[in-house]
Amino acid sequence: MSGDFWFDALLGVLLLVLALATIQARQLAAAVMLYVVFGLMLALAWARLGAADLALAEAAIGAGLTGALLFSALARQPKSITPPVRAGKMAPLAALMLCISMGTVLGWTLWQLPLQPAHSQLPAALEQLGSSGTEHLVTAVLLNFRAWDTLLELLVLLLALLGTRLVAAPEPAALQHWPLARQWSIRLLPLLVLVAFFVLWRGATAPGGAFQAGALLAAALVVLRLNGQLPMLSFGAWWVRALILAGVLAFLLAGLLSLWLNWQPEQAVQWLSWPLPLAKGLILLIELCATLAIGLTLTLLVVGERKELTA
Amino acid sequence: MSLVHWYLLIAAALWGIGCYGLIRGPELLRRIIALNLMGAAVFLVMVTLAARTEPADGVLHALVLTGLVVAVSATAFALALVARTLSEQA
Amino acid sequence: MNFALAAALLPLLAAVLALCWRRQAAWLVWLSTLFSLLLALAALWQVVTAGPTTMQLGGWQTGLAIRWQLNELSALLLLMTALIHSLVASYSLSQWRAAGLSADFWPLSALLQAALSSLFLSVDLFNWYVTLELLGLAAVALVLLSGKKALQAAMRYLLLSLAASLCYLLGVALLYGHYGWLDVPQLAVAISEHPVDHRLALWLITAGLMLKAALWPLHIWLPAAHAAAPAPVSALLSALVVKGPLFMLYMIWSQLAGPELVVTGSWLFLLTGSMALLAGGWSALRTPYAKVMVAYSTVAQLGYGLLALGLMLQLSDPVFTQALFLFVLAHALAKTSTFLAVGEMQLRLGGKRLSTFRGASQTMPLAMFAVAVAGGSLIGLPPSGGFVAKWHLLLPLWQHSQLWWLLPVILAGTLLSAAYIFRLVVLAFNRAKPVSPDFAPALLPQWLALLPALLVWMLAFASGALLSWLGG
Repeated sequence: MSGDFWFDALLGVLLLVLALATIQARQLAAAVMLYVVFGLMLALAWARLGAADLALAEAAIGAGLTGALLFSALARQPKSITPPVRAGKMAPLAALMLCISMGTVLGWTLWQLPLQPAHSQLPAALEQLGSSGTEHLVTAVLLNFRAWDTLLELLVLLLALLGTRLVAAPEPAALQHWPLARQWSIRLLPLLVLVAFFVLWRGATAPGGAFQAGALLAAALVVLRLNGQLPMLSFGAWWVRALILAGVLAFLLAGLLSLWLNWQPEQAVQWLSWPLPLAKGLILLIELCATLAIGLTLTLLVVGERKELTA
Repeated sequence: MSLVHWYLLIAAALWGIGCYGLIRGPELLRRIIALNLMGAAVFLVMVTLAARTEPADGVLHALVLTGLVVAVSATAFALALVARTLSEQA
Repeated sequence: MNFALAAALLPLLAAVLALCWRRQAAWLVWLSTLFSLLLALAALWQVVTAGPTTMQLGGWQTGLAIRWQLNELSALLLLMTALIHSLVASYSLSQWRAAGLSADFWPLSALLQAALSSLFLSVDLFNWYVTLELLGLAAVALVLLSGKKALQAAMRYLLLSLAASLCYLLGVALLYGHYGWLDVPQLAVAISEHPVDHRLALWLITAGLMLKAALWPLHIWLPAAHAAAPAPVSALLSALVVKGPLFMLYMIWSQLAGPELVVTGSWLFLLTGSMALLAGGWSALRTPYAKVMVAYSTVAQLGYGLLALGLMLQLSDPVFTQALFLFVLAHALAKTSTFLAVGEMQLRLGGKRLSTFRGASQTMPLAMFAVAVAGGSLIGLPPSGGFVAKWHLLLPLWQHSQLWWLLPVILAGTLLSAAYIFRLVVLAFNRAKPVSPDFAPALLPQWLALLPALLVWMLAFASGALLSWLGG
């Protein structure tokens, strides 16, 4: 058996063990830490399956930022009384049988899937890649072929922020700032910003792109905020809102511009169809604005601002 | 057993584990983690299906990236609700 | 397609502008709903005169790009979305400060409209997933506008909604694994050419969509969410938010299910539809809270939709498609009116229970009239829109005697809805509770609550045109 086989076997089993441990861990803090490790192992699995962009994104967003969000939620829980827990209404044995049978049925169905896909969009995508304005397939799909999905996705992110602001979870207890952490964050900041913009730039030709870059920016800002080195970012400030809306605005403006440039009388308009000479520039502009928007939105999601919830 | 089949089975098992966590809980935070596990299972299915071709199907990768961001947004919202719910109960 | 595109983009633009200029948010969003209504009417006119069109977003070939399809059905649904939004926005504009509705309502409702418009136009499975998530998050955020009391209901709605989305996405992944298409018409072609057993995919998708559409038995989140939400939000939830997944269910089952699967699916929908009618109606009758009663009424009315869908799948008769979407339209208008009127009465008379409405025919006659008129359509009294829809459901049943058992079910459902509507109306004619001498509720919101109810009764005049558009 080759080394590859053992690596995958071990990685798969490790994923399952970590998932089980996350569900069963008695302390929530332990569960969250195990979930972060799970996320990193998942990133490894995706790298193994040839998805480099996703490995980057999962490590930054799925494991890193989600972990930060979970810890932030844990920190906001009042430690005074153990909150009353409502155990699931279904008996454990019944739930276990249900989930095992679901998993088995799913596994059996997945096993039946053909190893050689009957049809896939890949050949068509590769064929059109040259006229998309970018050399990296994932970026081309996200910002050209299926740009509308990306625009909606930026709206989902915005909506999550709007919803979170409505709820206004209480501010976590004031931290004792750790001097070493403060020194570290000052040194890490330029490095993180540099890496973020590098990842953004590279997204045109190799794995990378706006989402991963935005997550890195958010990481930098969150660390600064947690160390008390960044003032509170208020949604009421016009520049904060402008940056958060930058991604969506860039998309809309680029769409309207191309609509106008592609305009032909007596023909239906083309929405989100970048004219070939402008495609590269438009994609880069949109990615830049999206990076800033994603970075700031994710930061505000993790280290929210205080707002009173009206009863 | 090929690479693709192995990871598909892992994904199925992850889905089952996630469902179990969602049903049993008991804490809300654990339910949200379980939802993220279910999401990870779905994304693993999609990435494994992308790995069937050589080179890997970038279209599916892009879809998973979209799904990841959507999942993080939803998780953030849900966690804000949980934090508020718990602070109201206490 | 130009008008439809503009109708979908305008609310999006309005939401972004409303977030930038927050003091003018209410006017901006209200104007955008009115303009999008005009654009949707223009889109319908365009479809009727020039025929259906499709658009590949980005101009790329089918399969690579997301496809938008504008036919009579999607144009009507686009129009319905714009109409309900403009009605609710007008009502909210007339009383939002008095009702204490937060200013965050405006950008959120505009985003909701954008999500719905995009959903009704799209025929791409993964794009539907993203619009579904947008729709769900917007709906939860809107429910939260009530404040602390909505936390539990919103939390439950959000968690269930997320689980449902993941079930849907897993089903889509399975379908892509079998066939390699996300574009629904192309997927239908691929399925007809090389059918493979994709049952689990379709069941997963159905489970996810049934939960999002609050179809029995996955409707548990709906009554609590409606009770907690502000009145305009409840109207939007019942009238529009649950209709999006219902539309997707129809599109997917009518195009992507093989012959044997269609039979199983049809029985599922017939049985759950019957249970929804009976259980929903029964729960509506027994609850003491007004908004919970109206919410259970939604669950029951959606049962008619399920029956229409099941019958369409089993008998392959296009008349049931007509019945399904006539129900969707009539219910949207009637429920909007009911929730807006009940909300206004709850606000002025001060109370959540049905007993608050005692004597409302003397204290707030206009709003009570709106409830009665809308209730008439919900029961299915002729010649309201609800009656036309039910008629088209019942008429073909006479020819199919093997489904005779549906007739008593529908009769029982109608009787139950009559019972809970009359319960409220009769209570209104009791002697009124004494009110303060300066009790003078604003009339404009009540008129605006009456408007959708009048429209649904006028639907019968347009039924000829509607039937030809939906039947084609």
